[in-house]
Amino acid sequence: MPEPGELALAIDDLTVAYDQKPAIWDIDLEVPQGALMAIVGPNGAGKSTLIKAALNLIPRAAGSALFHGKPYEAARHLVGYVPQRGSVDWDFPTSVLDVVTMGLYGKLGWLRRPGRRERAKALAALEQVGLLDYAGRQISQLSGGQQQRTFLARALVQDAQIYFMDEPFAAVDATTEAAIVNILRELNKRGRTVLVVHHDLQTVPEYFDWLTLLNVEVVASGPTCRVFTLDNLQKTYGGRVTSLHGGQVLAAGG
Amino acid sequence: MAERRVWPMIVALLALGVLLLPLSQSLFGLRLTYTVRVVALGGSLLGALSGAVGCFAVLRRESLLGDALSHAALPGVAIGFLLAGRQLGALLVGAGIASWLGLRLVAAILRTTRIKQDAALGIVLVSFFAAGIALLTYIQSLPEASQAGLDSFIFGQAAAIIESDIALLGGVGLAVTLVLALLWKEFKLITFDADFASAGGLRGGLIDALLSTLIVVTIVLGLQLAGVILMVGMLIAPAIAARQWTHSLEQMVVLAAALGAFAGGSGAVISALDSDIPTGPMIIVVAFALVALSITLAPGRGVLWRQLRQRENRRNFRSRRLEPGA
Amino acid sequence: MMGLERALIELLLHFVTHDALNAFLRSPQHTASLVGCLIAVCGALLGTFLLLRGMSLTSDAISHTVLLGIVLAFMLMTGAGLEGDTASPWLILGAAAAGVGTVVLTEALHRSGLVRQDAALGLAFPLLFAIAVILVSRFVDDVHLDDDAVLVGEIGLAWANTNSHCFANCESLRITPEHPAAQQTRQCANCRELNISPRDERAEFREVCGNCGVYTPAQAWSAGLLDEVPTLVFFPKSITVMLVLTALTVGFVAVFYKELKLTTFDAALAKSLGFRPAALTYALMILVSLVAVGAFDAVGSILVIAFFIIPPAAAYLLTDRLSGMLLLSPIIGGAGAFFGYDLARGWLFGMLPVAEGIAALNAVFGLQLREVWDSSISASVVLTMFVIFVLVWILSPRYGLVVSAVRRANSRRRFDDQVVLAHIHNHQGTPSHAIELRAATLHQHFRWTPQKMNRVLMRLRALGFVSLEAGSAILTQRGDAHVHAFRKQLLVAHNIPDIDPTQP
Repeated sequence: MPEPGELALAIDDLTVAYDQKPAIWDIDLEVPQGALMAIVGPNGAGKSTLIKAALNLIPRAAGSALFHGKPYEAARHLVGYVPQRGSVDWDFPTSVLDVVTMGLYGKLGWLRRPGRRERAKALAALEQVGLLDYAGRQISQLSGGQQQRTFLARALVQDAQIYFMDEPFAAVDATTEAAIVNILRELNKRGRTVLVVHHDLQTVPEYFDWLTLLNVEVVASGPTCRVFTLDNLQKTYGGRVTSLHGGQVLAAGG
Repeated sequence: MAERRVWPMIVALLALGVLLLPLSQSLFGLRLTYTVRVVALGGSLLGALSGAVGCFAVLRRESLLGDALSHAALPGVAIGFLLAGRQLGALLVGAGIASWLGLRLVAAILRTTRIKQDAALGIVLVSFFAAGIALLTYIQSLPEASQAGLDSFIFGQAAAIIESDIALLGGVGLAVTLVLALLWKEFKLITFDADFASAGGLRGGLIDALLSTLIVVTIVLGLQLAGVILMVGMLIAPAIAARQWTHSLEQMVVLAAALGAFAGGSGAVISALDSDIPTGPMIIVVAFALVALSITLAPGRGVLWRQLRQRENRRNFRSRRLEPGA
Repeated sequence: MMGLERALIELLLHFVTHDALNAFLRSPQHTASLVGCLIAVCGALLGTFLLLRGMSLTSDAISHTVLLGIVLAFMLMTGAGLEGDTASPWLILGAAAAGVGTVVLTEALHRSGLVRQDAALGLAFPLLFAIAVILVSRFVDDVHLDDDAVLVGEIGLAWANTNSHCFANCESLRITPEHPAAQQTRQCANCRELNISPRDERAEFREVCGNCGVYTPAQAWSAGLLDEVPTLVFFPKSITVMLVLTALTVGFVAVFYKELKLTTFDAALAKSLGFRPAALTYALMILVSLVAVGAFDAVGSILVIAFFIIPPAAAYLLTDRLSGMLLLSPIIGGAGAFFGYDLARGWLFGMLPVAEGIAALNAVFGLQLREVWDSSISASVVLTMFVIFVLVWILSPRYGLVVSAVRRANSRRRFDDQVVLAHIHNHQGTPSHAIELRAATLHQHFRWTPQKMNRVLMRLRALGFVSLEAGSAILTQRGDAHVHAFRKQLLVAHNIPDIDPTQP
């Protein structure tokens, strides 16, 4: 168990380049344990790249990421990952329960097969996201929101200390959005750290207590109340955000 | 979601397959020679093996890679012959190495150029095949005439199968089944969601290489029977047929193995009825008949089923529209 | 067809004598190279569009169906009592229709949503090929359709299958019994009837003409019936077929260049502008099928796809312009066809002897391989094209491996410099200054080796961007300006949000 008060995630000088064009540039990011953080920025700002580079899924040009003080190789069991929904083939022949059980494969290790205990854990996670009735359903029959919740359940069974979620709110229905928010709060209450790639500025202050504004570089990072300012948003989005009106963000000219 | 109807179907298929020999003996007067038995057994073993492994190739969207890899094996067969003479072991090892080189070449073209996958596959397929043809032509010009039978690797020649080949097929088939069973959850996860697998602590690259090796091994084993041109059909047809009947990967793999075994066995028997019908192509035709049946008839997914449902929907819709007026 | 050939030959006879022309056409090498080059031109032009549309493997599907089409048409024609000949227009039409049919079929299979595009194609090739092979071995008994011809064709024999054309002294000759050259022989009229030998005294004899009939000029001359030598030209049929197809292809590409370009790069836009992308696609497929049929005799149904795929892929690594690709890929294909003949006879590009390679192998590995290389011409053409492709891949001045490696090394060096400069810039003057910028431990922040860090720091100090102060790296004024310039460029390049950030 990690000690309270230490940094859940410390990213130091992380740089990733595609074809020698920087996708993210010299990122320094410190996330305290128990933070519920949104990563926000315009398209092409490198939000997903940041997560993938931190998790070693794409090669880094420079920099390091420490999870509770340990490099990724030693901290895999601390990390939970929710990839973008569109990254997999939803016509794959498998059931919802099966997908959720996949979250336990890493812990099971080589050769061992999931058994009754794993099944119980997966069912519990499905209940948490409100998909218990869908456990036996084939995944191609799910709606977009249900697919997202399936992925969330898969991350929940990982029982990780720090979660990375790539656009979980993208194109989901209201029920799913509420369910995701509930789960985020629940995780937050249990002291877990959650980083969410997010694209809807208006809900940021309501959902998240920490915020990182990203546009290739980190523009600002910290508690939402301090970071979510018009000045910072303009720096991030380049003048297209014009005013903060009672917490509402208004856009100029679409 | 495991569908209950699939298991009886598998049992029925296997039973039909077992009964095929005596049935064709009594109905069509097939003479059950030793050769026919060996070829039928070889065909079903290969069908089962390639059906099971092919599921992963299809689900990873690598159907056409299978085609390129089987064509790429041909120069390896020729070089194996030039170096070691006509020993099946040497020919297969050569085929495996050439096929694996083809795989690396496709990957290299994709990594270092802007050429897309379809063209990269095409380049490797036809260049390796041409190299194989050129070498075979050269071999035919050699004085020692022991080269007979290398041509069979192009179209496949079932009659060349002997008992030791069956033992080889059975042994490798057993090994492949064992690997599949032991690494089942790893293969499943890497096929469904490679990123999550790597993030979750699996050695993605290693599992990926293992799975590719299984596919190459299967292709190489099938060359003698099905030939380089038709091998891709053995690999993907049973998997595509099986996919229509079930939504569970476990059932899909077992069903594909059963369908493949059925196609292999019955194709061999049909071709034994008429000496002019080559075995490899006949197996492929049977396998594709199974695909056509599955695509049309499979409950829930099949074309027929969907049309029925559409008609019903339309009728429901019409009656509902009439109701308020009535 | 005959008229066309005749017109062409008449044109050529203005420049060369008919003897020279015959000598040229009767040489296997010349005819094979010429036919190969023509196939290469057609394939390269059409293949360029296939490549850019991501449909390269469709040519594979078509070439397999074309085989099936040829077999079926062949069986139908033999059944109908027509003389089977793969050059016959009915065969071509049937095979082309079959080719287009495949494209429609795989599209339908894909659109049913049950089978993915790649799997649909992967299903199509082997099935059609299997059926064709079964039909060939079950029903067709003809050298023209044996296994080898199916795979590699007979481009080396293209010179032998000719039409003869006569231009002077063209007496076609009718020999009647009265003709002085008629050879009269006596034949027993009633021997069979009475079952007796001609020596029997009951035998009755009659005069029969042994060589009467109608002679074409060529036949008459070779039978020695003409005093004057007729001017004959023997024209290989494959050349005519491929010439027509080349003219069709070049014409199609020239006439519809604008439309093809637009539909290839942006089908949606083309549709909205009133063009018919689907119609053009099918026209393209019809031409691909026709070329595949026309080339079947020469290179068979598998190797033909090399002509569609390899030259455009090589050209794609040399140029960014469509017109450039359309110019380069026929040249690459033509070169492959030209040098391919040499390779089959043992000379790579006419310079490097294959035999010496084999000899070297024999010497090194102690093998006893025959040191005479004489191999399939069509396969050698494909191999030569592949060798050209590999050379282009390595050496292309634009996208070659060598150039890319140099470019990547350069930009990586520059990139490393920027990473370090940005790091110093970000931490200069912050409380963590002393920890983050200590030169001795700087490499740890980037997870680089100390050696690499040293190299970068040395370079930056030499450039005057960085100086060391109390063991810490700091930016000089010049370095500061450089970082600002780079950041400006970087942020401008990225600060174009595609969608409104406030809209979910």
